[in-house]
Amino acid sequence: MAGPLAPERTPDTTPGEDHSLDRPWVTVVWDDPVNLMTYVTFVLQELFGYDEQTATELMLQVHHEGKAIVSSGPRERMEHDTSRLHAYGLWASYQRDA
Amino acid sequence: MRPFRRRGDELVARLVDAEASIVGLLLDQLEQLLAADPDDSGGDPVVERLLPPGHASDPEIAADYRDLTEAALRSGKADDLAIVRATLPPEGGEVRLDDDQARAWLRTTNDLRLALGTRLGVTADTEPPEDPTEEEGSQLAVYYWLTAVQGSLVDALVAGGGGRR
Repeated sequence: MAGPLAPERTPDTTPGEDHSLDRPWVTVVWDDPVNLMTYVTFVLQELFGYDEQTATELMLQVHHEGKAIVSSGPRERMEHDTSRLHAYGLWASYQRDA
Repeated sequence: MRPFRRRGDELVARLVDAEASIVGLLLDQLEQLLAADPDDSGGDPVVERLLPPGHASDPEIAADYRDLTEAALRSGKADDLAIVRATLPPEGGEVRLDDDQARAWLRTTNDLRLALGTRLGVTADTEPPEDPTEEEGSQLAVYYWLTAVQGSLVDALVAGGGGRR
Protein backbone atom coordinates (compact mmCIF):
# COMPACT_ATOMS: atom_id res chain seq x y z
CA MET A 1 0.00 0.00 0.00
CA ALA A 2 1.19 3.56 -0.73
CA GLY A 3 2.50 5.95 1.94
CA PRO A 4 0.70 7.05 5.09
CA LEU A 5 -2.84 8.24 4.66
CA ALA A 6 -3.62 11.77 5.68
CA PRO A 7 -5.95 11.48 8.65
CA GLU A 8 -9.36 12.88 7.85
CA ARG A 9 -10.85 15.59 9.99
CA THR A 10 -13.89 14.36 11.81
CA PRO A 11 -16.19 16.01 14.30
CA ASP A 12 -14.15 14.33 17.03
CA THR A 13 -10.76 15.68 16.03
CA THR A 14 -11.40 19.41 16.42
CA PRO A 15 -11.32 21.13 13.05
CA GLY A 16 -9.55 24.46 12.93
CA GLU A 17 -6.35 23.41 14.69
CA ASP A 18 -4.46 23.15 11.41
CA HIS A 19 -3.08 26.68 11.63
CA SER A 20 -1.55 26.18 15.05
CA LEU A 21 2.16 27.01 15.13
CA ASP A 22 2.80 23.98 17.33
CA ARG A 23 3.47 20.70 15.67
CA PRO A 24 0.27 18.73 16.03
CA TRP A 25 -0.05 15.55 18.01
CA VAL A 26 -1.16 12.29 16.48
CA THR A 27 -2.91 9.15 17.70
CA VAL A 28 -1.32 5.93 16.49
CA VAL A 29 -2.88 2.47 16.39
CA TRP A 30 -0.34 -0.37 16.58
CA ASP A 31 -0.65 -3.88 15.22
CA ASP A 32 -1.40 -6.64 17.69
CA PRO A 33 -2.09 -10.34 17.20
CA VAL A 34 -5.48 -10.49 18.95
CA ASN A 35 -7.73 -7.76 17.55
CA LEU A 36 -9.77 -8.95 14.57
CA MET A 37 -9.37 -7.03 11.33
CA THR A 38 -13.14 -6.61 11.02
CA TYR A 39 -13.29 -5.33 14.61
CA VAL A 40 -10.51 -2.75 14.07
CA THR A 41 -12.28 -1.47 10.95
CA PHE A 42 -15.57 -1.28 12.85
CA VAL A 43 -14.00 0.64 15.75
CA LEU A 44 -12.32 3.18 13.44
CA GLN A 45 -15.67 3.85 11.75
CA GLU A 46 -17.48 4.01 15.06
CA LEU A 47 -15.07 6.35 16.86
CA PHE A 48 -13.85 8.61 14.08
CA GLY A 49 -16.71 8.51 11.59
CA TYR A 50 -14.50 7.21 8.78
CA ASP A 51 -16.27 5.66 5.83
CA GLU A 52 -15.78 1.94 5.35
CA GLN A 53 -13.09 2.32 2.70
CA THR A 54 -10.96 4.75 4.74
CA ALA A 55 -11.32 2.66 7.88
CA THR A 56 -10.37 -0.48 5.95
CA GLU A 57 -7.30 1.23 4.45
CA LEU A 58 -6.15 2.37 7.90
CA MET A 59 -6.73 -1.11 9.33
CA LEU A 60 -4.68 -2.66 6.52
CA GLN A 61 -1.91 -0.14 7.11
CA VAL A 62 -1.84 -1.19 10.79
CA HIS A 63 -1.80 -4.82 9.74
CA HIS A 64 0.92 -4.57 7.07
CA GLU A 65 3.10 -1.71 8.33
CA GLY A 66 2.66 -2.26 12.07
CA LYS A 67 0.96 1.08 12.79
CA ALA A 68 -1.16 3.87 11.37
CA ILE A 69 -2.00 7.43 12.36
CA VAL A 70 -5.75 7.52 12.92
CA SER A 71 -6.22 11.11 14.09
CA SER A 72 -4.25 14.31 14.62
CA GLY A 73 -4.80 17.53 16.53
CA PRO A 74 -4.05 19.13 19.89
CA ARG A 75 -2.59 16.99 22.67
CA GLU A 76 -5.73 16.92 24.83
CA ARG A 77 -7.79 15.67 21.91
CA MET A 78 -5.26 12.94 21.18
CA GLU A 79 -5.32 11.86 24.83
CA HIS A 80 -9.06 11.58 24.51
CA ASP A 81 -8.88 9.66 21.21
CA THR A 82 -6.32 7.27 22.71
CA SER A 83 -8.54 6.58 25.71
CA ARG A 84 -11.54 5.93 23.46
CA LEU A 85 -9.44 3.40 21.52
CA HIS A 86 -8.27 1.82 24.79
CA ALA A 87 -11.90 1.46 25.85
CA TYR A 88 -12.31 -0.74 22.75
CA GLY A 89 -9.09 -2.62 23.47
CA LEU A 90 -7.10 -1.33 20.52
CA TRP A 91 -3.39 -0.89 21.12
CA ALA A 92 -3.03 2.89 20.72
CA SER A 93 -0.87 5.75 21.90
CA TYR A 94 -0.39 9.44 21.13
CA GLN A 95 2.73 11.40 20.38
CA ARG A 96 3.96 14.62 18.83
CA ASP A 97 3.90 14.34 15.05
CA ALA A 98 7.33 13.34 13.80
CA MET B 1 -23.23 -21.79 19.91
CA ARG B 2 -25.42 -20.29 17.27
CA PRO B 3 -23.54 -17.16 16.15
CA PHE B 4 -24.96 -13.65 16.35
CA ARG B 5 -27.40 -12.61 13.63
CA ARG B 6 -29.42 -9.45 13.32
CA ARG B 7 -33.11 -10.03 13.87
CA GLY B 8 -34.98 -6.74 13.46
CA ASP B 9 -33.63 -4.33 16.07
CA GLU B 10 -31.90 -7.08 17.98
CA LEU B 11 -28.70 -9.11 17.72
CA VAL B 12 -29.42 -12.67 18.69
CA ALA B 13 -27.22 -15.68 19.44
CA ARG B 14 -27.70 -18.90 21.34
CA LEU B 15 -25.26 -20.35 23.87
CA VAL B 16 -25.34 -23.81 25.36
CA ASP B 17 -25.09 -24.31 29.11
CA ALA B 18 -21.33 -25.02 29.21
CA GLU B 19 -20.55 -22.00 27.04
CA ALA B 20 -22.56 -19.67 29.27
CA SER B 21 -20.77 -21.08 32.35
CA ILE B 22 -17.36 -20.47 30.81
CA VAL B 23 -18.25 -16.90 29.89
CA GLY B 24 -19.49 -16.39 33.46
CA LEU B 25 -16.19 -17.64 34.90
CA LEU B 26 -14.14 -15.50 32.55
CA LEU B 27 -16.24 -12.47 33.51
CA ASP B 28 -15.49 -13.14 37.20
CA GLN B 29 -11.75 -13.25 36.46
CA LEU B 30 -11.85 -10.07 34.39
CA GLU B 31 -13.89 -8.31 37.07
CA GLN B 32 -11.27 -9.16 39.70
CA LEU B 33 -8.48 -7.87 37.48
CA LEU B 34 -10.31 -4.60 36.87
CA ALA B 35 -11.19 -4.13 40.53
CA ALA B 36 -7.66 -4.86 41.81
CA ASP B 37 -5.66 -2.00 43.29
CA PRO B 38 -3.56 -0.62 40.39
CA ASP B 39 -0.52 -0.59 42.70
CA ASP B 40 -0.87 -4.33 43.30
CA SER B 41 -1.39 -5.31 39.67
CA GLY B 42 1.57 -3.32 38.34
CA GLY B 43 3.62 -5.43 35.98
CA ASP B 44 0.82 -7.90 35.23
CA PRO B 45 1.06 -8.21 31.44
CA VAL B 46 -2.71 -8.69 31.13
CA VAL B 47 -3.49 -5.47 33.01
CA GLU B 48 -0.78 -3.77 30.97
CA ARG B 49 -2.52 -4.89 27.79
CA LEU B 50 -6.01 -3.93 28.94
CA LEU B 51 -4.80 -0.50 30.11
CA PRO B 52 -1.80 0.24 27.89
CA PRO B 53 0.55 3.19 28.27
CA GLY B 54 -0.70 6.32 26.46
CA HIS B 55 2.76 7.16 25.18
CA ALA B 56 5.07 4.57 23.67
CA SER B 57 8.38 6.04 24.89
CA ASP B 58 7.89 8.99 27.27
CA PRO B 59 7.18 7.72 30.81
CA GLU B 60 6.10 11.18 32.06
CA ILE B 61 3.46 11.56 29.38
CA ALA B 62 2.39 7.96 29.99
CA ALA B 63 2.03 8.70 33.73
CA ASP B 64 -0.03 11.84 33.01
CA TYR B 65 -2.23 9.83 30.72
CA ARG B 66 -2.74 7.14 33.34
CA ASP B 67 -3.70 9.73 35.97
CA LEU B 68 -6.20 11.26 33.58
CA THR B 69 -7.83 8.17 32.13
CA GLU B 70 -7.25 4.98 34.11
CA ALA B 71 -10.12 5.31 36.57
CA ALA B 72 -12.62 6.07 33.78
CA LEU B 73 -11.32 3.23 31.61
CA ARG B 74 -11.58 0.77 34.48
CA SER B 75 -15.12 1.84 35.34
CA GLY B 76 -16.18 1.81 31.67
CA LYS B 77 -14.92 -1.75 31.33
CA ALA B 78 -16.68 -2.71 34.57
CA ASP B 79 -19.94 -1.19 33.26
CA ASP B 80 -19.61 -3.17 30.01
CA LEU B 81 -18.95 -6.32 31.98
CA ALA B 82 -22.08 -5.76 34.08
CA ILE B 83 -24.15 -5.43 30.88
CA VAL B 84 -22.73 -8.70 29.54
CA ARG B 85 -23.48 -10.43 32.84
CA ALA B 86 -27.03 -9.09 32.88
CA THR B 87 -27.73 -10.27 29.31
CA LEU B 88 -26.01 -13.66 29.60
CA PRO B 89 -28.44 -16.52 30.22
CA PRO B 90 -26.70 -18.25 33.16
CA GLU B 91 -27.73 -21.73 32.06
CA GLY B 92 -27.49 -21.13 28.36
CA GLY B 93 -30.15 -20.06 25.90
CA GLU B 94 -30.78 -17.07 23.73
CA VAL B 95 -28.74 -13.88 24.04
CA ARG B 96 -30.71 -10.89 22.75
CA LEU B 97 -29.00 -7.53 22.55
CA ASP B 98 -29.88 -4.01 21.46
CA ASP B 99 -27.15 -2.02 19.70
CA ASP B 100 -25.71 -0.51 22.89
CA GLN B 101 -25.63 -3.86 24.67
CA ALA B 102 -23.99 -5.32 21.56
CA ARG B 103 -21.20 -2.73 21.85
CA ALA B 104 -20.68 -3.70 25.49
CA TRP B 105 -20.42 -7.35 24.38
CA LEU B 106 -17.94 -6.40 21.65
CA ARG B 107 -15.67 -4.54 24.08
CA THR B 108 -15.91 -7.18 26.80
CA THR B 109 -15.38 -10.19 24.53
CA ASN B 110 -12.41 -8.29 23.14
CA ASP B 111 -11.03 -7.73 26.65
CA LEU B 112 -11.51 -11.43 27.41
CA ARG B 113 -9.65 -12.35 24.21
CA LEU B 114 -6.87 -9.86 25.04
CA ALA B 115 -6.55 -11.32 28.54
CA LEU B 116 -6.50 -14.93 27.32
CA GLY B 117 -4.33 -14.11 24.31
CA THR B 118 -1.77 -12.35 26.51
CA ARG B 119 -1.69 -15.18 29.06
CA LEU B 120 -1.34 -17.81 26.32
CA GLY B 121 1.21 -15.80 24.34
CA VAL B 122 -0.95 -15.75 21.20
CA THR B 123 0.91 -14.43 18.14
CA ALA B 124 -0.09 -13.81 14.52
CA ASP B 125 1.06 -17.39 13.78
CA THR B 126 -0.95 -19.10 16.53
CA GLU B 127 -3.36 -21.71 15.22
CA PRO B 128 -6.35 -23.44 16.80
CA PRO B 129 -5.33 -26.28 19.13
CA GLU B 130 -4.92 -29.78 17.77
CA ASP B 131 -5.95 -31.27 21.09
CA PRO B 132 -8.60 -29.15 22.82
CA THR B 133 -8.80 -31.61 25.73
CA GLU B 134 -5.28 -30.93 26.95
CA GLU B 135 -4.93 -27.98 29.40
CA GLU B 136 -3.35 -25.35 27.18
CA GLY B 137 -5.33 -26.64 24.20
CA SER B 138 -8.58 -26.14 26.08
CA GLN B 139 -7.75 -22.53 26.94
CA LEU B 140 -6.80 -21.88 23.34
CA ALA B 141 -10.07 -23.48 22.26
CA VAL B 142 -11.93 -21.01 24.51
CA TYR B 143 -9.95 -18.18 22.92
CA TYR B 144 -10.99 -19.30 19.43
CA TRP B 145 -14.56 -19.80 20.56
CA LEU B 146 -14.62 -16.19 21.84
CA THR B 147 -13.13 -15.10 18.51
CA ALA B 148 -16.06 -16.72 16.71
CA VAL B 149 -18.59 -15.09 19.04
CA GLN B 150 -17.04 -11.64 18.68
CA GLY B 151 -16.50 -12.04 14.93
CA SER B 152 -20.16 -12.92 14.38
CA LEU B 153 -21.24 -9.93 16.46
CA VAL B 154 -19.05 -7.51 14.46
CA ASP B 155 -20.40 -8.94 11.21
CA ALA B 156 -24.00 -8.71 12.41
CA LEU B 157 -23.53 -5.09 13.51
CA VAL B 158 -21.83 -4.11 10.25
CA ALA B 159 -24.53 -5.85 8.22
CA GLY B 160 -27.09 -3.70 10.01
CA GLY B 161 -25.16 -0.49 9.26
CA GLY B 162 -24.02 -0.35 12.88
CA GLY B 163 -20.60 0.95 11.93
CA ARG B 164 -21.99 4.04 10.26
CA ARG B 165 -24.33 5.58 12.79
